[in-house]
Amino acid sequence: MSERATLSKDEVRSLFVAYQSATSEGEKLELRGRLVDQHIGLVEFLARRFRNRGEPLEDLVQVGTIGLLKAIERFDLEREVEFSTYATPTIVGELKRHFRDKGWAVRVPRRLQELHLELTKVVGFLGQELGRSPTVAELAEAASISEEEVLEGLEIAQAYNFTSLDAPIDTSDGGTTSFADQLGTEDEHLEYLEYRASLAPEMAKLPERERRILYLRFFKGMTQSEIADKLGISQMHVSRLLNRTLMSLREALEEE
Amino acid sequence: MEKISIRIPASPAYLQVVRLVSAGLATRLKFTLDDIEDLKIAVDELSAYFTGAQGRDGTIQVDFLIDDDHIEIRGAGNFAPGQKVRTDLTEFSQMILDTVADEASLEQLDGTPTFRLTKSRKQ
Repeated sequence: MSERATLSKDEVRSLFVAYQSATSEGEKLELRGRLVDQHIGLVEFLARRFRNRGEPLEDLVQVGTIGLLKAIERFDLEREVEFSTYATPTIVGELKRHFRDKGWAVRVPRRLQELHLELTKVVGFLGQELGRSPTVAELAEAASISEEEVLEGLEIAQAYNFTSLDAPIDTSDGGTTSFADQLGTEDEHLEYLEYRASLAPEMAKLPERERRILYLRFFKGMTQSEIADKLGISQMHVSRLLNRTLMSLREALEEE
Repeated sequence: MEKISIRIPASPAYLQVVRLVSAGLATRLKFTLDDIEDLKIAVDELSAYFTGAQGRDGTIQVDFLIDDDHIEIRGAGNFAPGQKVRTDLTEFSQMILDTVADEASLEQLDGTPTFRLTKSRKQ
């Protein structure tokens, strides 16, 4: 990066005014470059907080810069807030998302990953709003995408890989928790008694959460949406875990 | 009643295509997401008997029959001689299919392994 002049708050503000009112593409680019230079230090500072996670710092700075660019695009001068304050969550969000993306078991194009994340959200709130599972047409309309894209997004859910019980999952209030925290304890031993007796030993080898989902779906007859509500995870997460479990059980059966 | 047919190599890698066609047609029938997911599980469960975990030498013909609110999926395996294909459902498969499909069966018809499943839109 080139030598950076440190501008005062007012100077940053006037730079934004100039940027937002710029009409020519060249002028916009030039002003945006100056805004980026001005704040790259913030990006580097934030990126350093993530450097112990096995990713080169330079890559993290690049990722953070994407967040910075988004923040520059969206910054509203009407707000009585300094740009750096406004940009910080966007940059951190971009960095977190970068690590979350690493959770994909199969290399999935970013467009599809984002589609999946968007759909997960829409499925959740539409389900709440409608009080039933939404249709594809309803999902497509709510997410402003085509029905084909919805189907693609649902199918790609199967490639997503949460390997650890401690993997973060989004909660409805926008925070994160881990699956381990979500596992209920209510009468579990009692609950599983009836099906342990009737099932192949393979089932007993399953991780607790997979067993629980299997139990709720096929023994209790709860729908995927209902299970998602009960466990506080997304319906698409339930779908993926269920499919993965069934696949592993089929394979186990064949090896017999 | 309309019929849509596909033929895939008997490999698990192509089950995604069957799932996507199933989901696409269920979408036309205005199935809910839960029902679409169930349909995909059902077709996966049955098709897996034909593909096995490693794939088999042969093809699977899958016919989809749809009307206003109902879909029927029929599969028929066409395998090279000597391929052993199981045509009785395990107890566990039966339980899964009872939950996710209206009707489901696996049988040998004139020497050809076949499956059939149906599902209707819930009102």
